[in-house]
Amino acid sequence: MQWFTRRQGSPGGSGAAQRVVVIGLDGVPHSFATRMIREGRMPNLARIFQAGTLRPLTSTWPFVSSVAWSSFMTGCNPGKHNIYGFVDRRLNTYNVFLPNSETMRAEPIWSTLSRAGKRVGVMNVPVTYPPREVNGLMVSCFLSPSLEKATYPRELAGRLQRMGYKIDADAAIARRSKTEFMQELLDVLDHRAQAMLTLMDEEPWDFFMSHIMETDRLHHFYWEYMEAGDPVWAPAFYAFYQRLDAILGQVWERIGPDTTLIMLSDHGFCTIRKEVYLNHYLREHGWLQLQPQDGRPPTLADIAPSSRAYSLDPGRIFINLEGREPRGSVRRGAEYERVCEKLAAEMLDLRDPDDGAPMVERVYRREEIYHGDSARNAPDLVVAPRIGYALKGALHQDHLTHKGDVLIGEHTHDDALLYISGHDLVTTTLTMQDVAPAVFSLMGVPEPAGLDGAMAITA
Amino acid sequence: MERGFTLWFTGLSGAGKTTLAEIVERTLKQRGRRVELLDGDVVRTHLSKGLGFSREDRDINILRIGFVSRLLARNGVIAIASAISPYRKTRDQVRAMCDDFVEVYVDTPLEECRRRDVKGLYRRALTGQVSAFTGVSDPYEPPLAAEITISTIGQSPERSAAAIISWLERRGYLDAETHTPAYSVAPAYAMPERGASESGQNGHSTDDASADAGAAYSPDEEETVSARLEALGYL
Repeated sequence: MQWFTRRQGSPGGSGAAQRVVVIGLDGVPHSFATRMIREGRMPNLARIFQAGTLRPLTSTWPFVSSVAWSSFMTGCNPGKHNIYGFVDRRLNTYNVFLPNSETMRAEPIWSTLSRAGKRVGVMNVPVTYPPREVNGLMVSCFLSPSLEKATYPRELAGRLQRMGYKIDADAAIARRSKTEFMQELLDVLDHRAQAMLTLMDEEPWDFFMSHIMETDRLHHFYWEYMEAGDPVWAPAFYAFYQRLDAILGQVWERIGPDTTLIMLSDHGFCTIRKEVYLNHYLREHGWLQLQPQDGRPPTLADIAPSSRAYSLDPGRIFINLEGREPRGSVRRGAEYERVCEKLAAEMLDLRDPDDGAPMVERVYRREEIYHGDSARNAPDLVVAPRIGYALKGALHQDHLTHKGDVLIGEHTHDDALLYISGHDLVTTTLTMQDVAPAVFSLMGVPEPAGLDGAMAITA
Repeated sequence: MERGFTLWFTGLSGAGKTTLAEIVERTLKQRGRRVELLDGDVVRTHLSKGLGFSREDRDINILRIGFVSRLLARNGVIAIASAISPYRKTRDQVRAMCDDFVEVYVDTPLEECRRRDVKGLYRRALTGQVSAFTGVSDPYEPPLAAEITISTIGQSPERSAAAIISWLERRGYLDAETHTPAYSVAPAYAMPERGASESGQNGHSTDDASADAGAAYSPDEEETVSARLEALGYL
């Protein structure tokens, strides 16, 4: 499937193998970016967009950054790359763990490029901890426990530290002071930009990617204020984007005729309506029983054999399947099908307790959305919420829903963005896994077999 | 004196414990470390000769290996133990007796171990020729919080062993070796070939979402990152 053609006379218009810069803009909606352009708030971004093509992009299931960026970096669906969320459970146990780069079962772009002799620089992309050896440099993401352990080569950590680089904004600050956290975000953004531009200027590279995570953090803690026109936080929100615009302008200055710029986000954003605790529902309706030991709060390890299902964040449901789960009781075959059908129907019937609004858009069976050697690790059901409802996997909430005042922005599945300089986009249905093939094509590197994204440049 | 410690491999019969333990042993010896491998099968021919496979005899065997490991480790030797060690309580007793104890759970699913059946024991157990066999007639209690969890499906033993060595370096059990990028020759890690068969040694498949995941974080580090994710509403 061809998704773009080459424009004449634009950056990236050369016939030779291109260098590629990718800027990840975590959680920046297509609709919001275009509004910023229309309102004249981001003149550099406007200039960049005029030199290429912008399209909406669809996220993954579930639509969280770890899954979406894994699909981006591998060109594969989660059934192949094996990342299904920020938390997962070990197969054949109820033990939860944090998926990381060592969990990934498909090769990221930069590994393929490195093998092909291309020099790469990769900064802050989700699910790059522990840092892999590459032909170049790697700075891992916020899943790194510390900066010292986040880099390849190791010596790069000291250099970044001297630049004041931080792995991530400290979200704990947001829970005590929105003012302090806004300053923290700007500080982290500035230092990340400084490091990014310095490394772009001083290190050799054929492929350079830097990921801006601060947009996602801003949206989680301030989105509703912006939408509501809050007199304090809306201007601060836009000021943050003006700072980002300046940074993007500096990146654009470095994009020459031999370089293509790609910018993309991984999901959209909206004001959160409610957090929805699926395990509360499952416990209340007889799907899940927990037997906590010693009076401590229950964990998944306390699941009783009589349980038929449990949920992991966000919206993933696992059937307590005999032979797969340690205390599985649902038999394979007809009983499994009945349980999936019944539970899916109940999820579709979930209603907001305050106004009776439906909270679920759709429920997917694993085989509908995942395929590949790691699809066996997939959840049995994936619940797709209606916009504004955040499906959570907490085990011991006393209510089905909750609207807090700290986390006030939530992801959306649609409305991410994809931009490419110097080329036209000729199709409109684009997903996270469709970018990797384009990168290989631009750089003249043979595309590995087995990618799920199918993109190609016309000659 | 260099720091000694106990590296304890546990897992089902045929999971790959001995294979991994031997690669790790070789690697550490090449680095000039004093290492002793206490393999369960070998120990049963000498130190635990005469012991059977009852619960009591299994426990005695494991505790003996643990005792020897402790003696070695406190004299600066890396004691690598490789034994099914199926009971959690007994492994925890060994952990308690050792000063520095690193548990490596070789998490190969029972189905795969049966398929491999490297010693023909599963077939004999399933036909009743062998009794008290872990995974058939006797239970295996997997660790709840092993320091390292390794899956042997979908990756070479060398890569699995490298992950173990890397974990030990990151946590200060071993001095890290200086890495020089050698991309003109070959990458330091080997990704499995795409499209290889599910049962192949370098197959792209895995049954286990957690393969190598346990090696990435110490308990403290996992807590740090978990707290970060929780503050963001992702947990």
